Amino acid sequence: MRRLNVGMLSFAHAHAYDYLACLQQMPEVTVGGIADPVPERTEELAMRHAIPYYSDYRELLADASIDAVIICSENVHHAEHTLAASEAGKHVLCEKPLGLSAGEMERMIAGCEAKGVQLMTAFPCRFLTPVVRAKEAFDRGEIGEIIAFKGTNRGSFPGPAWFAEPSLSGGGAVLDHTVHVMDLMNWFTGSPVEQVYAYAGTLFDPEHKRTIDDSGMVHVTFANGVFGVLDPSWSRNPGFPTWGDVTLQIIGTEGVISIDAFNQKNNVYGRASGKGSWSFWGDDMNGLMLQAFVQALLEGTPVPVTGLDGLRSAEVALNAYRSVQEGQPVKLHR
Amino acid sequence: MIKTAVIGCGGMGNIHADRYMSMPEAQLIAVCDINGEAAERLGLLAGVKYYLSAQEMLEREKPEVVSIAVPTYLHVPMVRLAADYGAHVICEKPLALTSAEAEEAVRYCNGKGVRLFVGHVVRFFPAYSQLAEGIRQHGGGRGGIYHAKRAGSHPGQVQEWFRDPALSGGVIVDLMIHDIDYIRGTFGEAEEVYAFEHRTETMNYASATFRFGNGTLAQLEAFWGYPGAFHTAFEYAGADVIISGGTPDGESVHVRRAAASGSAPGFVETPASVLLKDPYYEELEHFLRCIASGAEPKVTAEDAVQAVRWAEAAVSSGATGLPVKLDAKGGIL
Repeated sequence: MRRLNVGMLSFAHAHAYDYLACLQQMPEVTVGGIADPVPERTEELAMRHAIPYYSDYRELLADASIDAVIICSENVHHAEHTLAASEAGKHVLCEKPLGLSAGEMERMIAGCEAKGVQLMTAFPCRFLTPVVRAKEAFDRGEIGEIIAFKGTNRGSFPGPAWFAEPSLSGGGAVLDHTVHVMDLMNWFTGSPVEQVYAYAGTLFDPEHKRTIDDSGMVHVTFANGVFGVLDPSWSRNPGFPTWGDVTLQIIGTEGVISIDAFNQKNNVYGRASGKGSWSFWGDDMNGLMLQAFVQALLEGTPVPVTGLDGLRSAEVALNAYRSVQEGQPVKLHR
Repeated sequence: MIKTAVIGCGGMGNIHADRYMSMPEAQLIAVCDINGEAAERLGLLAGVKYYLSAQEMLEREKPEVVSIAVPTYLHVPMVRLAADYGAHVICEKPLALTSAEAEEAVRYCNGKGVRLFVGHVVRFFPAYSQLAEGIRQHGGGRGGIYHAKRAGSHPGQVQEWFRDPALSGGVIVDLMIHDIDYIRGTFGEAEEVYAFEHRTETMNYASATFRFGNGTLAQLEAFWGYPGAFHTAFEYAGADVIISGGTPDGESVHVRRAAASGSAPGFVETPASVLLKDPYYEELEHFLRCIASGAEPKVTAEDAVQAVRWAEAAVSSGATGLPVKLDAKGGIL
């Protein structure tokens, strides 16, 4: 069996830890290196798993045996890291949001194309089994044509400090949490977003010190007339039984599909925790996403979620900020 | 004992009549409907006189309070008629199809010296009054994100006039107005609304986001023609609290019969609550007490006018695809 040698480029985004754990379960994958500028969070981890550690990602990219990299750096570095990886001939799975401007993302896509490497955007929600089943039901025509969406991707305030630092993240909740469900809406309609109207604010810091947006409401109108609204707020407090949610209601001419992706859960009430919590038992979306990435590369088939998908979704979030600034609906420039 | 009468013997008229009958401080004296069968059925059920003509009923029975539960396009003419006979009026929501007509109804009742109340019953649902209290206690003034929805079968299946927006106002003016009135009561004046509405013969779906001065966003959905049971849901999230609820999750009794069940025959779906005094009872009792004491009700006729204004703004936003600004009085700028 052919094996895929995967390098991990930065652990700034905590998903990297999850991805590493998934990759190590996969017999067809070798984790051939970890590059991270912060040794305190990764050096020991790499040693424990006997994975070569580099503080400079260029050293990782210089290893000719590495086939692909997973980029989990701060958003602002995605473009630099993706372009460097493509230059080195590595396939790329890049954490979302793919980039912080349409131009940057177009360069990432073109750069990978030019070097003949594949670029996949990390949208694990595409691999949630409830979402896949919903898409199949839609494709069978069970709800007719789509009229409107209502989605939520509510979450907790992210742990790593850089999420609240615009020079590293490029934006707050509206950027971080618009892209997942926006990608699902794009996937279901197959029609480009034409107009965005959004609100953003800072509402969920009990100490009122936060300056980055942690709340909002993003409205989109697709070229085919479909309407979508999405709540991307980091609105879950520590008392909430879980980290957040992914929900999508698809209103069709002949019916409605309602997805509550993490509703496959047990209710857990512990004396020590002092609160109830939801324990998810559904299929593991991260593992399924990585499997799809690895399989496509091993078989030489197109990755199932592309750089263009990442661009189409991130540009909605970026235009949401433009709309907030202008105080009116904005048309997407194409 | 306050003498009450009901105009309109459909679903809501039946509810009003039933609650008056069980209320110690009220006496139901007559009901009326231009549909003789409906009038007779309710009259016999309630053991009171029934009429085909509202005017005749008002003239002969001289009720002190009249409930108006006729189709929306007839609300204002009936309000005026009842006021002409000196009866205090409890009108079902929405007060009118347009804010201009709604204002006219308020002016008319003021001129005749009768009180006017509008059945924005959501304010009387304990889940919602507790929610409002919770929001207040947990710093709601600092802003939050609110979601609410209300979805069920198309009432046009039961009453054809619901399908015509010129008669019912459509799903925003008829159904979403519950949540519109509620967010106005809970969050105060909104600055802007941005809405989407889709309407066909069999479905009417609307989604509207209201933005308030303190940054609160309220995202409301209303749906006629939902292919499932009637349900409602809400969630408020602020910095210090998340409060969510809804039906049917929030119900404690389900009686499931082997035979298919649905709406009562001929009636539009209404949410029910398993309480000793259900929200309709609480609402009507509250209004009767306000009449007796002269006190201001929890939801005033002016509130009802503003709710129609906000609904109009949402309809207008849905039609143009543009956000609509609301002024401090709730008018469209």
